[in-house]
Amino acid sequence: MSHESVIFQIGWNACINCGACIAVCPQPPGFVTSFNTIAVNTACDIACMACEIICPVSTIFHLKESEIANDPTFIQLNPRQY
Amino acid sequence: MCPIKYDIVVIGSGPGGSTTARYAAKHGLRVLLIDKRQELGAPIQCSGAISGNALENVEIIADDEFIQEKIYGFGIYNEVGIKTTIDYRTLKPDEYSKSKKPLGFVVDRRRFDRYLMTMAERENVEVSLKSEGLNYTPEKNGTCTLTIRRFNEEIKINTKVIVGADGLQSQVGKWAGLNTHIKLTELASCLQFVVDGVKTDGLLEIITGDKWAPGGYAWIFPKGNGYAEIGLGVTRTLAKQNAQRYLDQFMKESFFKDRFLNARILEIQGGGVPLTAPLNIQYADNLILVGDAARHVNPITGGGIHTAMASGKIAGEFLAELIKSDKEPTKENLKEYQERWLNAMGNKMWQLYQVKHNIFNTKDVLLRDEMLYNTMSNYFSPESEYKKI
Repeated sequence: MSHESVIFQIGWNACINCGACIAVCPQPPGFVTSFNTIAVNTACDIACMACEIICPVSTIFHLKESEIANDPTFIQLNPRQY
Repeated sequence: MCPIKYDIVVIGSGPGGSTTARYAAKHGLRVLLIDKRQELGAPIQCSGAISGNALENVEIIADDEFIQEKIYGFGIYNEVGIKTTIDYRTLKPDEYSKSKKPLGFVVDRRRFDRYLMTMAERENVEVSLKSEGLNYTPEKNGTCTLTIRRFNEEIKINTKVIVGADGLQSQVGKWAGLNTHIKLTELASCLQFVVDGVKTDGLLEIITGDKWAPGGYAWIFPKGNGYAEIGLGVTRTLAKQNAQRYLDQFMKESFFKDRFLNARILEIQGGGVPLTAPLNIQYADNLILVGDAARHVNPITGGGIHTAMASGKIAGEFLAELIKSDKEPTKENLKEYQERWLNAMGNKMWQLYQVKHNIFNTKDVLLRDEMLYNTMSNYFSPESEYKKI
């Protein structure tokens, strides 16, 4: 289990919109996307990884916050945050 | 444009939500039913099995519009394929047969959920799709203001009670600070394929065994028109890999591998199934939860349609009584909903949870497999004490 904040990313092609990731997520209400998944592009400070583990098709990934600063692809996709 | 005052607003138009709305409206309440989706029932997260009793209990006729296959019993298998057959066509031929009545059905969840919504609308429930609940604020007069987003427009609605029927991923319960969190040890991670080319015979087939589905089971359900569902659910803390890999393994390596040789996949569906105890507290000021949102799911079978509709009926009738008696919808007054539900089915669900808990907390895998197989075989027998749950 990591205690550093993480940002989740979802491989949308494999996602089956089952919502299992939201069901095990201990975050307060609203840590979701409109596509029945946990929030992406928003830091998760709990980082329990239950969402990644429960996913039936293993299509949730994460970057640690410290790694994001060095990830040009992520910054390019999320310019408003960086 | 929505009028702004309702007795109750139901968030989520699955079987639990639409049944709550229908019974509340039938007993005279002004009801709004909202759902964020554009098509109910989708994406499908369920195998769609439901008993005939469950439909009768909430006065729904088994209509061809949503029935895909009639079911007459069960086939329970252990890990190596030893089978217990519980076929009501032979156990109770005077009651159940093709010419008489079936034991249950597999339904098309898209059509079923839409049908249930239609039945609610015919009782004068107002329905709004593409409408998502955002938050609520209690008011001094005992009501509350609910904010929803309908398409891209934010609308404020005054209501006495919000019914959270927003499923497994419920956010409504979290709004009120209820402890809705499901532990990783108690949520089955499920995946199923709808397939062509796999024969079935009117039975729901359940395959137990740690090798195929640790902390859950695999299933083969008839789906009508020669189709079938092949799926499984696993508890990830007991499983070495994800549900997708277990399903691949089940189809390629199990004692059914020859039966699956010509399976052609038509759809891929999945979901989380809470194999957990019902929520300890399912109510708050101005708010109650029904169905999956309250974890009203049978923790042995994972079945949730029957339990959601049954709790919807209890909720709808109770809210009508409460509001017509002019009692304020405080948590103290809404507590009776949970008490009625416990008396009707909740206490048995708690017992089932203990059974499930004892099985999956058994460390010896062989013993655990045997316990699950025996429990499943007994559960579906005509003598089962739990058959109406």
